[in-house]
Amino acid sequence: MTQSEQESGASATSMTLEPLIVLDGVNKWFGDLHVLRDINLTVGKGEVVVVIGPSGSGKSTLCRAINRLETIDQGSITLDGRALPQEGKALAALRAEVGMVFQSFNLFSHKTILENVTLGPIKVRGRSRVEAEKRGRALLDRVGVAHQADKYPAQLSGGQQQRVAIARALAMEPKAMLFDEPTSALDPEMIKEVLDVMVDLAERGMTMIVVTHEMGFARTAGNRVVFMADGAIVEENTPAQFFTNPESDRAKDFLGKILKH
Amino acid sequence: MRFTKTKAVLAGLTLAATAACGGNAGSDSGGGADVQVKKDAASAFPAGTRMKELADAGKITIGVKFDQPGLGFKGAADDAPSGFDVEMAKILAASLGIDAKNITWKETISDNREPFLQSGEVDLVLATYSITPERRKVVGQAGPYYLTGQQLLVKKGSAIKSVADIKGKEVCSVTGSTSLDNVEKKGARPRGFDTYSECRDQVLDGTVGAMTTDGSILLGYAAQNPDELEVVGEPFSEERYGVGYNKDRPEMCKWISDELKTSFDDGNWKKAFDATLGKSGAQAPQAPALDPCPTA
Amino acid sequence: MQDVFNQFDLVLKAFWLTIQLFLLSGVCSLLLGVLLAGMRVGPVSVLRGAAAVYVTVIRNTPLLMIFIFVFVAAPRLDVNFDFLTKGVIALTIYTSAFVCEAIRSGINSVPLGQAEAARSIGLTFIGSMREVILPQAFRATMPPLASVLIALLKNTSVGAAFGLLEATARMRFFTNNNADDRMLIFLTFAAGYVVLVELLSFGASRLERKWRVAVR
Ligand SMILES: Nc1ncnc2c1ncn2[C@@H]1O[C@H](COP(=O)(O)OP(=O)(O)O)[C@@H](O)[C@H]1O
Ligand SMILES: [Mg+2]
Repeated sequence: MTQSEQESGASATSMTLEPLIVLDGVNKWFGDLHVLRDINLTVGKGEVVVVIGPSGSGKSTLCRAINRLETIDQGSITLDGRALPQEGKALAALRAEVGMVFQSFNLFSHKTILENVTLGPIKVRGRSRVEAEKRGRALLDRVGVAHQADKYPAQLSGGQQQRVAIARALAMEPKAMLFDEPTSALDPEMIKEVLDVMVDLAERGMTMIVVTHEMGFARTAGNRVVFMADGAIVEENTPAQFFTNPESDRAKDFLGKILKH
Repeated sequence: MRFTKTKAVLAGLTLAATAACGGNAGSDSGGGADVQVKKDAASAFPAGTRMKELADAGKITIGVKFDQPGLGFKGAADDAPSGFDVEMAKILAASLGIDAKNITWKETISDNREPFLQSGEVDLVLATYSITPERRKVVGQAGPYYLTGQQLLVKKGSAIKSVADIKGKEVCSVTGSTSLDNVEKKGARPRGFDTYSECRDQVLDGTVGAMTTDGSILLGYAAQNPDELEVVGEPFSEERYGVGYNKDRPEMCKWISDELKTSFDDGNWKKAFDATLGKSGAQAPQAPALDPCPTA
Repeated sequence: MQDVFNQFDLVLKAFWLTIQLFLLSGVCSLLLGVLLAGMRVGPVSVLRGAAAVYVTVIRNTPLLMIFIFVFVAAPRLDVNFDFLTKGVIALTIYTSAFVCEAIRSGINSVPLGQAEAARSIGLTFIGSMREVILPQAFRATMPPLASVLIALLKNTSVGAAFGLLEATARMRFFTNNNADDRMLIFLTFAAGYVVLVELLSFGASRLERKWRVAVR
């Protein structure tokens, strides 16, 4: 395969991979506001999809819908072939299979770093404390905050907190991970430490949907870029194609703006 | 809401009762003691005495109970209270030349009898006011004008037949009353309520085994509900009802004592009893012996 | 006054009943209050509505009415318990509504992101309440909850009029029997309440400080 074949075969990638997350004709309204318009999106196992688009275009809502933090009004979302159940225990269990990392970290402020990472495994997965702590410490080590295990979230820097949040999600051994602008709330010097963890994760084969404007990450780790505007997917392409040669005017316009500053 | 309902029922009963016994409630002619209001009473008392002041003023304020049938009771629809205490109060007022319609009746509850006397809010208290040494430290108490004793009011057919049966049983009365203290010492579990009628309700619905207080009061309640309630056992305490007055005016004691004695002798005391407590079927007892007045 | 000290065991016994009433209805009110607060913020609309109606009705009803209902009306309908239980029921019915509102305001002070993070790791509604939201809500709730509990401690005195021989009822025995010493007796019993309330607020502020240290 030549370089160009690989790039132009972006949509083919998801075809050949076994599909993990499938959105089919998803629509959502907030009152009169049509926030998700006919979203069709298939994410294959091990694929890293970068979602990009102007503020208010529905990127967060898309992530939250996949994790069922928001309900949808039309269409279906399946995970590994299973539809998302309604509210209840079944949904809670399914939610644990998709890890979510928030822009504002959302670590449990009354629990230590280690407790943040072990809460889910113990309470949801039914692991023993010893086992959960052992794995928790290993994960904290992997994201580089092992020595902070007994501190409280407020005592850590933003970058450290976000890495703990990633470890917390990983502790559930999820099938996929959703990142909603994980570095937007960080000081510039901390962005890289978080992105490094994410790149590492991608290299280990984690299925990821990442809302971010970090082009470096998209180019290194992304298999595909999805460009959203006004609640609809306007363009899908390989990162290289999308950034160098966007097809739609909306994308061109958007890239022009973010590249300028 | 239940309060008003109970009161309304009580008021109805009282109205019926008073109608039956000649309706002496609040009427100055009085179905009971037909007391002559003394003319030119003021001249009979030396200047500077409280009696003279009251006689000159031509009016008096007297504290009585409003919630004890037969002794001092005022229903929601009544203009003035009725009962034995009330009749005795009228006799005292008459000796000052004060007509019943010039008496201001003030409701007193167990807790405020001394403060009312001390502050001059009332001139006399006739409110089932047992004479005790502790009370005599702060107020004057002349009399006694009536002797009664603590008894038990039970549901008809109750296993409680006398005070010997109350050990371990729940017995109610008014919160803080001496009667409740007494049954507690006899091994009962004391249950205090705000009013006698609430306590009576607890007996009726079987929550407590008995109600206890002065037999005279219990008779009033038994008379209201003769099919369901009865007074059982011998009295197990002695209560001596006295007339409360302000300790700063000790001259009142002799006047009260003299007037009580007169009423014992001229039959007004018995008439007052027959028209009130006597309606429950009780016979007028022997008139009690009066305590001497304290020497100043 | 002599009378009070000669029978001080009766005073202690009365305050012990006050404490029992407080502790039992305190625990029950906390449990019921948490349940109600959970219903009020929960996903089931029927429960949300039911809890809201309960809180509105109870908060706008005088405590005395609730006591009358439990002690006088309910026995007529053959719903009857022993006196202590009835006291605890009446106080719990009343206090839980206030506990619910204190906790609900605490829950609302917990950032929404905490609940979302809890749900995203697979905790159920009840699990995220128990593990994440309530522990944080209790912190913000401590000051208002402490005043609710202090009010409860003092509200136990309503039981004095319903057959419960707690501190206030006992005080009325002494004041009735010792007309000359009313003021002193009153002050003695008031001091008892002051001590209990002070202990309670001391405990509350200790807890509050401990929790604050834990987050910072
Ligand atoms: N809970 C909500 N209620 C009403 N409108 C909302 C809500 N959440 C988001 N929106 C609106 O939906 C649109 C999409 O929001 P969002 O998905 O957060 O966009 P993005 O993440 O791309 O900035 C925005 O216009 C936003 O104001
Ligand atoms: Mg967003």
